[in-house]
Amino acid sequence: MEHRSRIATLVSPPALFLIVLFLLPIGFMALFSFRVGTFGETRNMFTLDHYRDFFANAPLLRLLWRSLLISFWVSIYSVVLAYPIAYYLVFQGGDRKLLLLTIIIVPAWVSYLLRVLAWKVILGSTGILASFIAWIGLDPRESAFLLYSSDAVTVTLVYVWIPFVALPIFAALERIDPHLLEAAADLGCTKFEAFLRVTLPLSLPGVVAGFLFVFIPTVGEYVTPALVGGTEGVMFGNLIQDQFLRGLNWPVGSLMSLAMLAIVLVPLVVFARFFKISDIAGV
Amino acid sequence: MKHPSTFKLILLILNLLMVSVLTACAPPAAEETPDEAAPEETEAMPEPTEEMVEEGGPITIMEWSGYEVTENPYLFPDFADTYTPTLESVTEYIFFAEDPEAFARIQSGVQVDLVHPCESYMGLYVEAGLMQPLDTSRIEYWDDLHPKLKEVGQVDGVQYFMPWDWGYESILVRTDLVEEVPDSWADLWDPQYAGNVMLWDSGQANYGMTALALGYEDPWEVLSPEVVEEVKQKLIELKPNVLTYWTDYTQTWDMPASGEAVLTANAWQDAYGYLVGEGYDVAYIDPAEGRMSWVCGYGILKDAQNIDLVYEFLNAAAAPSSAAGLGNWYWYGHANTAAVDLIDDYIVEFMSLDNIDVIFEETVFYQPITEEERGWLIDMWNDVKAAP
Repeated sequence: MEHRSRIATLVSPPALFLIVLFLLPIGFMALFSFRVGTFGETRNMFTLDHYRDFFANAPLLRLLWRSLLISFWVSIYSVVLAYPIAYYLVFQGGDRKLLLLTIIIVPAWVSYLLRVLAWKVILGSTGILASFIAWIGLDPRESAFLLYSSDAVTVTLVYVWIPFVALPIFAALERIDPHLLEAAADLGCTKFEAFLRVTLPLSLPGVVAGFLFVFIPTVGEYVTPALVGGTEGVMFGNLIQDQFLRGLNWPVGSLMSLAMLAIVLVPLVVFARFFKISDIAGV
Repeated sequence: MKHPSTFKLILLILNLLMVSVLTACAPPAAEETPDEAAPEETEAMPEPTEEMVEEGGPITIMEWSGYEVTENPYLFPDFADTYTPTLESVTEYIFFAEDPEAFARIQSGVQVDLVHPCESYMGLYVEAGLMQPLDTSRIEYWDDLHPKLKEVGQVDGVQYFMPWDWGYESILVRTDLVEEVPDSWADLWDPQYAGNVMLWDSGQANYGMTALALGYEDPWEVLSPEVVEEVKQKLIELKPNVLTYWTDYTQTWDMPASGEAVLTANAWQDAYGYLVGEGYDVAYIDPAEGRMSWVCGYGILKDAQNIDLVYEFLNAAAAPSSAAGLGNWYWYGHANTAAVDLIDDYIVEFMSLDNIDVIFEETVFYQPITEEERGWLIDMWNDVKAAP
């Protein structure tokens, strides 16, 4: 009972925060998706037309799929690149562990916009990458990574999100009892085998958490695609922003947001089934 | 975990801290609430003028940032001269960055006296029943305003808006980076320009120029779902030529300068003026199908207070002194085209202000459109962007 009441106190203020500032607005959005219009009388009329039009709009659904793919690859690349960083920090960091961790996190404190714009300098047609490609003799315009492409969006997003992925992986690796690795060595494992059969499986909850850390926000990205994506890198979030801010079509915008929310919930539910929060937080 | 209860206590405190910090760090509430409408004197202000005391308070203007008379008195000299030093107490400004933002805020209940939308949105305000017609007899320089521009401010034949600022839309070309300078909107589709074109991220603008490229003389006359569909297909064909979309007009200054955007579509003439001044080889072409033109103007809200002060402001806006201020400082056109003598020669030249009647005959103006029509254009443009 004492254990339970402690948990209850722990949860209560954030729970209220969550309900009022998160669940309630989502409820409003869901209600809006059924309205006919944004202002005036049309606001109080309800219809299923928007849903029907949305599911009938093949190019829009394909764009949603393409956005999900971009997010998916961004997440994979982020995890693959962040894992060695976290691994080094935990197993080789020693006394400098906290310092190195801080160094990784600090760039995340710089304005998001500045970090994206920095990539415009690197990837632009007169930028560093283009100059390098021209110097080694290839035609820069053929390079897919250059500015105003979906690859530019991927690269920029990976750069932005790596610090955030490194953290859960770091936490998961940190929890691994070094005695387990000693035991593995005693039983005849090589270092690599020990990694594959002990470290990696134990860090898996952190890896998946890191993956979701990136996947969920990037699905709704619109700033980065607008700045570096050009025509090819347009993502679903751009159209949602357009519907809300320029189209003033809040019902359709709400519907599109809910569609994205529903899709993102799927991996979350799957994750929740197979892993417990306690596996990651180590509580 | 060695001390679970301590750990949980720390976690609880951190949670409470986080919650209070996050709520305390909420951005300050937007200034624009319905209560703002009532004239209020919150700061120490100079003695109010007699007019203001008589007629009941300052006017509230929903305005683009950069046009406010308090910071830019040269834009409305007659008004500024009358009310200095109490300018801040006679005008209150609410700023917006894009037309739909202004419309949404007014629809949500923000009370203003004057609003400054552009042509495509003028119809929406009238459709929503927000505006009162202009009493043009109260505007001294009304006849000096160009008839073609005044026409744009009419919805269903009634004059709701007074045109103030206008400009051209055409293709801005870096002549040193192209082999062949285009001479029509249709040339944008030429494969030689692949990856060189920068388009405005606007359904209206792209509909207008594509309809012209398709051969329609007046895009707004023929606006219908069939034509919109035709335009959509044509725009999807244009995609291989398009490098990126611009959302902020400063991009039409920077991107041609850096050479990334060789052809910038629906660029305004201020970009041309700026780039020429910076020494770039640019041309602002005269498309065969005609240049397009945007027009923005002031309208009076139905529940506006202090109507006399409102008309004083409008008179100052229509005056030749305002034309000189806007023309010479902003490279924008002013509706009072009779005041051409007050404008610097090089601006008169590149805006063809001395031949304006002829030019306007060949110019395609944006027109007010209904909410439904705007919806078609927004959806069309989103479909174009979503297409692979």
